[in-house]
Amino acid sequence: MAGTLQRQPTVTPARRLAWRAGAVVTALAITTLFLALSGRDPRLLADLVVRSTVGSRFGLEDLALFLTPLLLTGAAVTVTGRIGVWNIGAEGQFYAGAIGATAVGLFLPGPAWLVLPLMAASGIACGMGWILVPALARAYAGVNEIITTLLLNFVAGLLTTYLAVGPWHDRVTGALASTGRLPVRIPEIWGVVHWGFPIALVIVLALAWLTTRTRWGYQITIGGANEQAARYAGIPVRARILGVMLLSGGLAALAGVFEVAGTVHRLQGGLANNFGYFGIVVAVLARGSCLNVLPAALLMAFILNAGIVLQTQQLTGSTVLAITGLVLFMIAIADELAHYQPVTVRPATVGPITVGKEARP
Amino acid sequence: MTDLLHARNDGPPPIPPGTPPILQLQGICKYFPGVIANQDVSLDIAPGEIHALLGENGAGKSTLMNVVTGIYQPDGGEIILDGYGQVFAAPQDAIRAGIGMVHQHFKLVPAFTVAENIHLGWRDTPFLASSKVLETRTRALSERFGFSVRPDAIVADLSAGEQQRVEILRVLARQARLLILDEPTAVLTPAETRDLFRALRAFRAQGNAVILISHKLDEVIDISDRISILRAGRNVGTYRTADCTAAGLATTMVGREIVRRDLRARAPGATPIAPTPVLSLRGATCRDPRGVETLRDVTLDLHGGEILGIAGVAGNGQRELTQVLTGMMPLSAGEILLDGTPAPLADPAAFARAGIGHIPEDRLRSGLAPALDITDNMALREYDRPPIGRHGLYDHTAANHLAQTIVEAAEVRVPDLATPIRNLSGGNQQRLVARREIRIASRVLVAAYPSRGLDIGAIATVLRYLTELRDQGVAVVLVSEDLEELLNVADRIGVLFHGRLMATIDAATADMETIGLLMGGRSAHNGAPHGGSTQDGGQA
Ligand SMILES: Nc1ncnc2c1ncn2[C@@H]1O[C@H](COP(=O)(O)OP(=O)(O)OP(=O)(O)O)[C@@H](O)[C@H]1O
Ligand SMILES: [Mg+2]
Repeated sequence: MAGTLQRQPTVTPARRLAWRAGAVVTALAITTLFLALSGRDPRLLADLVVRSTVGSRFGLEDLALFLTPLLLTGAAVTVTGRIGVWNIGAEGQFYAGAIGATAVGLFLPGPAWLVLPLMAASGIACGMGWILVPALARAYAGVNEIITTLLLNFVAGLLTTYLAVGPWHDRVTGALASTGRLPVRIPEIWGVVHWGFPIALVIVLALAWLTTRTRWGYQITIGGANEQAARYAGIPVRARILGVMLLSGGLAALAGVFEVAGTVHRLQGGLANNFGYFGIVVAVLARGSCLNVLPAALLMAFILNAGIVLQTQQLTGSTVLAITGLVLFMIAIADELAHYQPVTVRPATVGPITVGKEARP
Repeated sequence: MTDLLHARNDGPPPIPPGTPPILQLQGICKYFPGVIANQDVSLDIAPGEIHALLGENGAGKSTLMNVVTGIYQPDGGEIILDGYGQVFAAPQDAIRAGIGMVHQHFKLVPAFTVAENIHLGWRDTPFLASSKVLETRTRALSERFGFSVRPDAIVADLSAGEQQRVEILRVLARQARLLILDEPTAVLTPAETRDLFRALRAFRAQGNAVILISHKLDEVIDISDRISILRAGRNVGTYRTADCTAAGLATTMVGREIVRRDLRARAPGATPIAPTPVLSLRGATCRDPRGVETLRDVTLDLHGGEILGIAGVAGNGQRELTQVLTGMMPLSAGEILLDGTPAPLADPAAFARAGIGHIPEDRLRSGLAPALDITDNMALREYDRPPIGRHGLYDHTAANHLAQTIVEAAEVRVPDLATPIRNLSGGNQQRLVARREIRIASRVLVAAYPSRGLDIGAIATVLRYLTELRDQGVAVVLVSEDLEELLNVADRIGVLFHGRLMATIDAATADMETIGLLMGGRSAHNGAPHGGSTQDGGQA
């Protein structure tokens, strides 16, 4: 036997990153290949994508607008993952946040400096309320949160559509599918990019610090790694699960608040744009680390942005989903392959091998 | 398959000379980052022998067996089966070649029944099998191999001994000719051990082979035909058991002589036994979720500066007692007094803050988070106090520092504090947990089977830790199945039977026979059954 592949139990971050970079490149190469096969000029498309995402000011602004909600929903799913819980309901909490913010924005007249914080508070409270029942059921009755949080997404989505076309619909312009324009908006800092973007960045950084450098973060890590050991150490696991899930609901809701108050300026059906579900993708890529949410969300935002560009070139919207799926699939394979390292198997040696400074026989 | 009826005689079967060994290892090497787990190990296993593998904690025994069973690939050397070189790319290959292993930490699915576990991932499992079919097949297997199991029982409800029988049956059903057992008796009662050995002898009598890893030298001498000893990853020798003595083996294993001390004697200047108890139980009673009493009306006082031994057959309330004493389990009746005042109910953090340490029975499941690194695991008890925990923060540098201190005190060699703790050997995990708990045990240490899975050198060390704590005035509760250990170390011995504390006797005047009778539910004076009239109390 000359050499075999062997699975190592642990992988260094650098090694994993290298494999993942390879995976993304491979996924893009496959995408290019398919585009070429379907008769498009990949070079032209690639040029267009680069120019309209990172290669121009408009592209960068769009990227930041995509990034803002993804950072927050990605962080929302990541924090619950640290305690071993999957919040699949970020989409629903996003809607709940948007509804809470819109309610204040539409019906509470006042100066922006007062109304905006109230909108945020109301939105966050709604998001937390939206996850409260699944959180209580999970923490105190062990009810699987994946199903409960997921099902509430459809309720929230339909509720939003109902409010937008029903009781809250725009009576001024008569547009049927949305509420009227909100009287206040989050101020912009750079083109169409509003303050929500830096706030989301700061929140993710703060979470990274909270989850790794505080007592609360340590308790959550232990609770997620072995609940029985956490109980043994006297960590209030149930309270922590409840707290983390509420935090998660609040984060996803804040994404909804920013979307409605900073980007779209009105409540309408389909507002969440699958940002909640893409948050799950971001969390999977981030592998439980809040700091990793930054690059993961950036990659996701880039794919979404590129998808829009491709749609202008008569490719269907499903292309984005297919590319996302391909990237995820490749990364999953890469994560597994990163464990394997070739080892050279020496034949049985006569006499001992000295390991260390002495000369090899 | 060989007919069991021909296996009456349970000595080793006559093997014609020139029969190739079942398994031959030549120069096996296995390295982990920073650790040489195996270096140039050569070994033969003949058909019809029980071969014991001895060695200190971390000597590389489990790793070597993981190489043999295809869980790890060797970094050097060859595996030769029946005279042919073999490469096992995966555990399935080894199983197909007739090598079956029962691991140190069981690998059954707790929520499945026995029959389901036996049939899981087995090529002979009938497609579309009802649970009835699986159970019938399991019953047939259990009769054929002489391991009695309850096919319809849920594995989570079984005792360690029963779970082990399921594991072994699972392996035998796949037609193993070489059975590897990693510390099988560490969790067994003496009676279960006897049953296991009887079955192993029957297995050997059919020309099969067994590799047995154990730290219990008397058992090894009792059952094995040959013994190989690993030291720091190398095979230092293979001996015929008939030529070995326990003391000689111990010396070869550790590489130095082990000095026995009288552990009950106090060091000069030791703190005397405190007159007032530090922790007391008054009529403590617990019920399990089904309402069965698992601890019944236990009253005891723990004084600083003494070691209270707890004897009893496993499953007679030891787990409940340790959990009550460490604040992990609420009482359904009675009370627990800390310094004479009622203690907060079922608040393990408060108990830890009060200076009560706890070496849990099942360290991997309840005392550690296996996937996390050594640092995070060592901080488990002190993360909320300075220097690690200040103002709600978690100081990683301080935690590393603490982990380093504990690792040094426990004399465990680790490559790196960021290693996941599950990568340490079973014994080294145990040593780290023991040291971690001793640090916080300023008043009481509750140690459940602290020597389980330790080599004899390490057992002596852990017992020395306990006596040092005693001499510093700490009250120690030592739960053990090993009566000799209890008699050597404890000042008083309490005996549990069906959740009841049968008696607490002075260890200086106690004898094995009295304790044995109490463990069987007979009181010392008249030999009449006591407290055992209802059978439901002794849960598995
Ligand atoms: N997956 C792994 N990664 C890194 N190191 C490992 C791994 N598995 C084992 N080791 C190291 O290899 C050495 C041998 O471990 P092994 O589990 O074989 O010991 P052992 O002889 O079975 O000890 P014990 O009696 O305590 O069970 C130890 O130092 C251990 O830390
Ligand atoms: Mg081992």
